[in-house]
Amino acid sequence: MHEQVTTVEPNGNESLEFSVDELDELAPSKRPTARFVHSGGSRPLDGYTVKRGVGHGGFGEIYYAVSDAGKEVALKLIRRNLDIELRGIRHCLNLKHPNLLSLYDIRQDDQGDTWVVMEYVSGGCLADVLASHPDGMPIDETLRWFHGTAAGIACLHDRGIVHRDVKPGNLFCDEGVIKVGDYGLSKFVSCSHRSGQTESVGTVHYMAPEVANGRYGKEIDIYALGILLYEMLTGHVPFEGESVGEILMKHLTAKADVSILDQPYRNVVAKALEKDPANRFDSVAQMAAALPQPRSTDSGPGFVGGMGPSPGEGFRNPGADPAPEDFVEAETVEVHAVDEEPIERAVRDGCRKLQAAWDDADLSTPAKFAILVVGAIVLISNAWLMPLAVMLLVTYGLYRIVRILVLPSPSSSNSGTNGSATDAGRPQPMPSRPPGHRKTQPYVARKATPASNEKAQVAMVVRSPRDRLAELIGSMLAGTVVAIAMCVVMVLVSSFYNGTPQPEQCAWMVLMSILGTWAVMIPSKFWEGTRGEPMLRRFIMMVVGLGLGAIGFLTADLLMVDLPYVAHSSRELLPDYQLPPSFYADGRPLMMAYLACFGTLFLLLRWWKQANPMRRTRLSMFWALPVTILAATVVATVWHFPQPWLPMVAGTIAVAVQLATPWVHPRLRPRA
Amino acid sequence: MDCHEARPTDKFMLWVDAVGGFLVCGTDEVMLGQPVRCSAVDIPILGDISSRHALIRRDGEGYMIEAIREVWVDERAVDRTALLGDGNHISLGRGVRMSFRRPHALSATVRLDMLSRHRTEPPTDGILLMADSCILGPSPNCHVVCRDWPHEVILYRHGEELFCRVGGPNRTEIQNTHLLEIDGQLCKGKGRITRNSHIRGKGFSLSLEELAP
Repeated sequence: MHEQVTTVEPNGNESLEFSVDELDELAPSKRPTARFVHSGGSRPLDGYTVKRGVGHGGFGEIYYAVSDAGKEVALKLIRRNLDIELRGIRHCLNLKHPNLLSLYDIRQDDQGDTWVVMEYVSGGCLADVLASHPDGMPIDETLRWFHGTAAGIACLHDRGIVHRDVKPGNLFCDEGVIKVGDYGLSKFVSCSHRSGQTESVGTVHYMAPEVANGRYGKEIDIYALGILLYEMLTGHVPFEGESVGEILMKHLTAKADVSILDQPYRNVVAKALEKDPANRFDSVAQMAAALPQPRSTDSGPGFVGGMGPSPGEGFRNPGADPAPEDFVEAETVEVHAVDEEPIERAVRDGCRKLQAAWDDADLSTPAKFAILVVGAIVLISNAWLMPLAVMLLVTYGLYRIVRILVLPSPSSSNSGTNGSATDAGRPQPMPSRPPGHRKTQPYVARKATPASNEKAQVAMVVRSPRDRLAELIGSMLAGTVVAIAMCVVMVLVSSFYNGTPQPEQCAWMVLMSILGTWAVMIPSKFWEGTRGEPMLRRFIMMVVGLGLGAIGFLTADLLMVDLPYVAHSSRELLPDYQLPPSFYADGRPLMMAYLACFGTLFLLLRWWKQANPMRRTRLSMFWALPVTILAATVVATVWHFPQPWLPMVAGTIAVAVQLATPWVHPRLRPRA
Repeated sequence: MDCHEARPTDKFMLWVDAVGGFLVCGTDEVMLGQPVRCSAVDIPILGDISSRHALIRRDGEGYMIEAIREVWVDERAVDRTALLGDGNHISLGRGVRMSFRRPHALSATVRLDMLSRHRTEPPTDGILLMADSCILGPSPNCHVVCRDWPHEVILYRHGEELFCRVGGPNRTEIQNTHLLEIDGQLCKGKGRITRNSHIRGKGFSLSLEELAP
């Protein structure tokens, strides 16, 4: 016998750590078989012997185990570091419905980990069935699965529980009876920080658009059922993509291509996939009623009972169970409320109303602008308002930061893990694509899907962080060149009026223009393709502007740049007022003046719009550019900043940003 | 036959994480029947069948079934013996039905799957009558189809001992680069295993559990 076995001794504590990153994490059928902590034969929980790992569910591994007496169970490990509440599971513990996977018990092991002891289903899950029917399942089988699932979920809804994680991996067929699993737990999936990407990745294909806003009504289960029905009929989910962000964006904006479905499935799927939850079916029962019943097969009916109360209902002692549904409902409501920060919402609503009134007002654009200027002057002339406003803003900013730190609100954690599209300031976690798979054509949807009316915005969001970074660096380099060239032009223009500036003044202007250009480009790149909250963005831009002002002062100080204040330019326009002495010394602006100027300039304008690839023209000669220069002039006048430096810098930034950032010609844009 | 009859047995459970549990019988002859005390049944089926119901025998490359009680192969009653081929359906007694498949052309190992709702003792997802090797992998002609695995893993017998190696199209390359962890020991590409081993590799893990005769 010549079996040579090469044995490599492990180095110290090193063990086999296998990276699963290379596998395509998105395809549910290709979920990597990550490792299981407990191997066959171990007894993590008294009374049960683990035989093998089954899979990875909401919080951790699921094992197949046998009790000492021989009862087969599934053990679901809930790690203690996932700080979750078990109230939801407890509520589901005594649910009885033939289409729901039974929960037997919740136990704790010696390490403090919690285990859920569940019914073990020997049959495969729907994901396996789908894998063997790549072009869609037969109608009867589809209906069998659908009605069984719908009956189980209707029972959950009846008890006030939202499943939240309806997906093929959670649906099982046990001797012909469809079983819905993973309920009660999944409710908390989106709240857990650490369940992280792999968890949400598998689920994101079935995630309703309103989940991005932290809404978890039963409509999300109806939406998921619609996706499920579509997938069973066609073999693929309606919204596919290569990154979480791309799929989420499609859920938010793209319309599912239901034209390949026959009636009545087309209408049912279309209604279930409505973006507005209010337009979907009112209940699962209503949705199921719109579909035909499956013809009975030899494997028996997939669903037992019906949409009504489960058979267990009759045995329930009405006095013993004081409607725990209400409790769960209340929790859902709380989730709604916590999701949005109340002050911000109030301010935003107010602003929106004001904006609507502003837009509806029968005024020409110059008139509106004049009103704005007058309003600004009134504000400024009441100088005591300004520090108050700044203080308010800073306090609010601090409050927001503390709030984010202290309050692990579902929405904030949600967006962290799921890459919610509304929260664009945060970098979205996306699985890295293999190198070499790089797109050469910008802003063209990667896959030519049959539903080719992909949204332009979607195409932009799908870009991976790596692509964005590459593009940003390119833009920044180009912006630098443009800014230098524009500064030369500005110097030439200004030399006609004020005489040729000093070399150090030119250097200061070039530096400020370049930095300003970058200061616009970098946040804009983060926000690209998303509709964020303008107020929040303005605030961030103001902070950026303050930073830029500080740099401006320091460099001016360092280069000993002389920016003489020409007093005559503004005195006629404005009522005479004196800025505090901390602003100016001998007519020279100090740190405060720089901060105020650049902060206001960046707060006033929506700079990121100038970097939006979907802007109307590449270089807006007659709108964005003049407005920018005008705004800068007003700001400089109000803060008594030496003219014409601020408008020159602002104009340079505007031109550099618009010329150097990518722009898609309207003809090449996918139709929205 | 009495309780103390000595029969060669070589049975173990193959627990494949995320895939299933399989009863592996290594002997050339396996007895199918209901598990009652003292019966030497290799494949115990919890069904309305006799404690010694049928015998499946491997003869070189082929298989035959010997009926002790009523046995049907593809709806045809078996008088005494019948040859078994890939895709046959075997029925035992009233309603225990299973399929007989030989998925891999190069291996004489066959797989029995319950078609009726009966279960074996211990409960399994399939029964493997292992000849020389047992192939686990992503392709449909593996004995145990593991859809998510990156490559094949082969359990094979050499003499009385069991070995495990990784396999696939470019076998030598895979063997040189893939590490297997067998009972905590790292091995390159292949290693000797016992009937109680835990095996782990890139993207998969499985364990064996010896069953008492």
